[in-house]
Amino acid sequence: MILVLVEHDAGSIDELSLQALALARALGEPVEAMLVGSAEAAGALGAHGVGTVHVAEDERLAAYAPAAWARCVTDLLERLEPSAVVAAGTNRGNEVLAHVAARLDLPFAANCTQVVAGSPMRLTRVRWGGSLLEEAALHGSPALLSVAPHTVAAATVDGADAPAIESFAPALDDADLLVQVAEHAETVTSGISLAEAKVIVSGGRGVGSAEGFGILEELAELLDAAVGCSRVVTSAGWRPHTDQVGQTGTKVSPDLYIACGISGATQHIAGCKGAKKILAINSDAEAPILASADYAVIGDLTEIVPAITAELRKARES
Amino acid sequence: MLAGALALTVALAVSGYLFGRRAKLLADLVRLGKPVERFDHVPTRIRNEAEIVLGQRKLLQRLVPGLVHAAIFWGFLVLFPTILIAMIGAVDRDATLPWLGHQGWFALLVDVFAVLVLAGVIAAFAIRKIQRPARFEGSHLGEADLILALIAGIVTTLLLWHAARIALGLNEWPASWSPVSDALSGLFGDDSVTKVLERVFVWAHVLIILSFLAYLPHSKHLHIATAAINVYFGRTGPGGRIEPLRFDVPEEEMRFGAGTVPDLTWKQMFDTFSCTECGRCQDVCPAFATGKELSPKLLIMALRDQVFEEGPALVRGAEGFEPGPLVPNAVTDNVVWDCVTCGACVRECPVSIEHVDHIIDLRRHLVMMDSRFPSESEQMLRDVERASNPWGKPQTERADWGAELGVRVLEPGDPAPEVLYWVGCAASFDERARTAAQSTAKLLAAAGIDFAILGPRESCTGDPARRMGNEYLFQAHAEQNVATLNDAGVTKVVASCPHCFNTLANEYPDFGGSYEVIHHSELLADLVREGRLEPSGGEAAITYHDSCYLARHNDVLEGPRELVQAVGRPIEMERSRKRTFCCGAGGAHMWMEERAGLINEERAREAAATGAETLAVACPFCTVMLDDGVRANGDGLRVADVSTLLAESLDTAGRGQSP
Amino acid sequence: MRILVCVKRVPLTGGRMVLTADEQALETRHLGFTISPHEECGVEEAVRIIEQHGGETTVLALGPPEAEEQIRETLAIGADRGILLATDGEEWDPHATAAAIVTTIGSEEAAGGAFDLIVFGNESADSGNYQVGIRVAHALGRPVVTGLKGLAIEDGRARCEQEVPGGRDVYLVPLPAVVTVLEGINLPRYPSVPAKLRARQKPVERIEPERPEPRLEKLRLVVPAGQAKQAEILGQGPEAAPAVVGVMRDLGVM
Repeated sequence: MILVLVEHDAGSIDELSLQALALARALGEPVEAMLVGSAEAAGALGAHGVGTVHVAEDERLAAYAPAAWARCVTDLLERLEPSAVVAAGTNRGNEVLAHVAARLDLPFAANCTQVVAGSPMRLTRVRWGGSLLEEAALHGSPALLSVAPHTVAAATVDGADAPAIESFAPALDDADLLVQVAEHAETVTSGISLAEAKVIVSGGRGVGSAEGFGILEELAELLDAAVGCSRVVTSAGWRPHTDQVGQTGTKVSPDLYIACGISGATQHIAGCKGAKKILAINSDAEAPILASADYAVIGDLTEIVPAITAELRKARES
Repeated sequence: MLAGALALTVALAVSGYLFGRRAKLLADLVRLGKPVERFDHVPTRIRNEAEIVLGQRKLLQRLVPGLVHAAIFWGFLVLFPTILIAMIGAVDRDATLPWLGHQGWFALLVDVFAVLVLAGVIAAFAIRKIQRPARFEGSHLGEADLILALIAGIVTTLLLWHAARIALGLNEWPASWSPVSDALSGLFGDDSVTKVLERVFVWAHVLIILSFLAYLPHSKHLHIATAAINVYFGRTGPGGRIEPLRFDVPEEEMRFGAGTVPDLTWKQMFDTFSCTECGRCQDVCPAFATGKELSPKLLIMALRDQVFEEGPALVRGAEGFEPGPLVPNAVTDNVVWDCVTCGACVRECPVSIEHVDHIIDLRRHLVMMDSRFPSESEQMLRDVERASNPWGKPQTERADWGAELGVRVLEPGDPAPEVLYWVGCAASFDERARTAAQSTAKLLAAAGIDFAILGPRESCTGDPARRMGNEYLFQAHAEQNVATLNDAGVTKVVASCPHCFNTLANEYPDFGGSYEVIHHSELLADLVREGRLEPSGGEAAITYHDSCYLARHNDVLEGPRELVQAVGRPIEMERSRKRTFCCGAGGAHMWMEERAGLINEERAREAAATGAETLAVACPFCTVMLDDGVRANGDGLRVADVSTLLAESLDTAGRGQSP
Repeated sequence: MRILVCVKRVPLTGGRMVLTADEQALETRHLGFTISPHEECGVEEAVRIIEQHGGETTVLALGPPEAEEQIRETLAIGADRGILLATDGEEWDPHATAAAIVTTIGSEEAAGGAFDLIVFGNESADSGNYQVGIRVAHALGRPVVTGLKGLAIEDGRARCEQEVPGGRDVYLVPLPAVVTVLEGINLPRYPSVPAKLRARQKPVERIEPERPEPRLEKLRLVVPAGQAKQAEILGQGPEAAPAVVGVMRDLGVM
């Protein structure tokens, strides 16, 4: 049996957890899921091949506490003895499984794209934010692994029954709750956030200056897009780190990512390869970004970007 | 006579005291400065002194104001003995300087030069009051007027004194030998009034001179004492070379660059004392010309003011006195960073002030001690340090531009090629600069030259780091590159980037790297002259832009012109050769925010105004900057490296000849 | 205060991945190296905390002998001393890395007292295993908070901030604690040259730990196929604008 840690928020299952379920199913064993907090979202999991949903219930679990979540997992492990535990490669997924791995002295493979059952389990995992892959063998049981976001497609199963739902009370102790969210501060977001934008207009060294981003902002406004940038731009102080797209910035998955004057270092590609389509605007026809882009326009972005803005306005009027 | 002697003694004493006290302060201030080697190359220094001071060479770079000044200066030299003659004559009406005072030909000389000086002063006033050149913006005009008036007063009283003496019949030689004084003598009769006037004029002459002497070291006219000295101690080496720093120093000596007044070298102190506020430097500065804060003249004046403000307390060793930071107290950060190190100011300065050295030392302190520099340049410095090139691209890709051409990459252990082609970071990684490297490689191959490139083992020469003031990072690269070149047994290097060329030729010798370094334009010109490359000629109008680092800093002027001549019809811009106007990328400005965006547009406009279709360059930075400038102006000029133009010409002519 | 920061030496790959012939590692000949970005910010954060509260920062790296270069960089930022766990260049899996670090911490703390704070990067730029910090915390029995964008020490407690969708989550944990930080928590300073010169004199201890058998065993590295995508050139310069708008229409983002 494969146990999958599923994340949910206000009754809807996180898309990345559904992707994790798809990878778990590929191992060929029955799949069971664990939810923390409430059973609200449990029912929908049947369509994704889950036979039983285990819901950890305890009022102390109201706020996220990674060690407490890990305790829920280890309690289940003891009881159910799955051959593997899978989570999405989200911040929480990786964190919780790392806690489980540390507690049980087991190896843990983060951000996998493929797994093959066996002893040891063979897997392919992501390095350098996705620019490189590692084929590895996991010497431990149960196998602990997380699934790299947007590398496996979520899929529903035809004719699946609704899952059985069982709640359980994990044996939490004070140490498990030492690290727990104490406060949550809402930030007033001005504009669309990078993580949620459907279109992102992003600028790199080629934009030339902080003021140079004006033409990108204009285009972004027209498209209801967010404005992003590469690491060079934040280092130069032209834009804040919150705008940075990249391996160490925000990883984005818009429908369209427009990269203006960005050369395409792997650190940046790692952040934007989740995009459905990438359009590169660059003066250098040999820039690395073209190897990762779907479309390209070669030339001076200070001429091209305003031309696109103008063309868009014209097209909208007609 | 006794009264006269007494009066003169008192006047001399007072004037001498005021002059001497100030001179002592200046001497003490100079002693505060850090040491710098300027006592070598004596024959060159003496020659500079003769050409620049006696010969007024730099002043004559602007003909009319130069002649005006020369008249006054040469006049001053010739008239110098008349000061002594006047002092002696003031005490004893009938006494004069032994021998010289009795020479009629000297009297003629004095008359002629006195008039020359007066004419010069009048012309100077005309320039300042009627023409009002822009270079005087920011200068102390009132002080200049006073000085000119005093000079006029000196020669006028001299001529009038001689005139009165002729009227009184006191002249030893025929009056016609001093024609001007003779003409003026008609104003006076041989009478008691004239007798009194004769005394008045000589005493007025002496007193004006003595008060001028006292005023001199307190004003910008100090230059008449300091200029000759400043010129003697001026730079004798190549203009593009910067004096290295030592880093193997104990903790107490870890102060790099110029942060406060005592950090200035004695030569830099002297520079500030020598400035006459003439503004020639300001006039040719590309930053000033495009509305930036920097003016080389105002920079030196501001440093001078700071030296005088804090100097006395420093010299005294005042208890607990801490000198303030030069940036921002004397100048703002913008002034320091606006400079493109083109050297136009240094070339113009008639008193050998070295503005660029000041800028570099100010930058060294800001960067290496305070980490205070334009934020957009930080990435470049980190990239040079970690990735070995300012673009931060992997060195593994450095030879990619030449892969299709089969350019040979020198591996460790390979025998040294006849010529090592130093490609430079720009041509290796920038798409517009790449064509020059490709053209150069094709041409060298066509001429049968045995050459190779270092490829990934060629790391940045360190020029952008050094020009930004990060001497430490520069030296790390210099040492590494010298080791690579020496291990490979390289003796001859051709570089297509003038900045690489300058650093390899003039700066690497300080780190154990001595090679025969030639710029690609000169090597290609040699090959054309020898018939090893045969361009087909052409009639297309081409204007050539001199790179600062080639023309001004390194005297490379003819090679690129020969190439342009061989492929088209050359048209010169007005600001050409050593008067060239920067493209705007120097001084690490290639990596600074587009505040310099106007310099390249200004130059591109000048190029377009010649009516040429092609703008020929010999530098990858100029290529990129001027191409940007042309596009911004919408001029439609084609910007191309001389090597590319030559290669294209060969393609139409057929292959070149190998020996 | 005593702070320990763990850093890793990683190559600057630029835009392309090239493997060695045996597919076991990246070909790093002629590549520059740096400190993994999250960790560089971790060093800066530690140095700032020590500047504020007094104490000492120790930096630890597990890697080949050349990793001393990265340790010296951290000493120039302001760390006081370094420890190099020198390997033969072979990669260590996260389990082994954590174990070696725990052993070293054990002897360090026995000699000089407990570390109030141990700082890791959230994940290393190259292998991205997301677990070394957490393993070390468990072995030491200390609380660990990950992915920090904000950190403040007050009264023996760490106030930790994470960025989450919609805002920030705050954790308050007692010291001694372990944290992992993200790039963006601060902007690392550009060290002065005197700092760099002093860094050359600061002590760096070298230990040569034994490498245990890997439990996450690397078999080989693979460059993903998608890297050689061929972008469709829509045009040159502003004339391509209509084609771009056409693509936008097709994608439904207009």
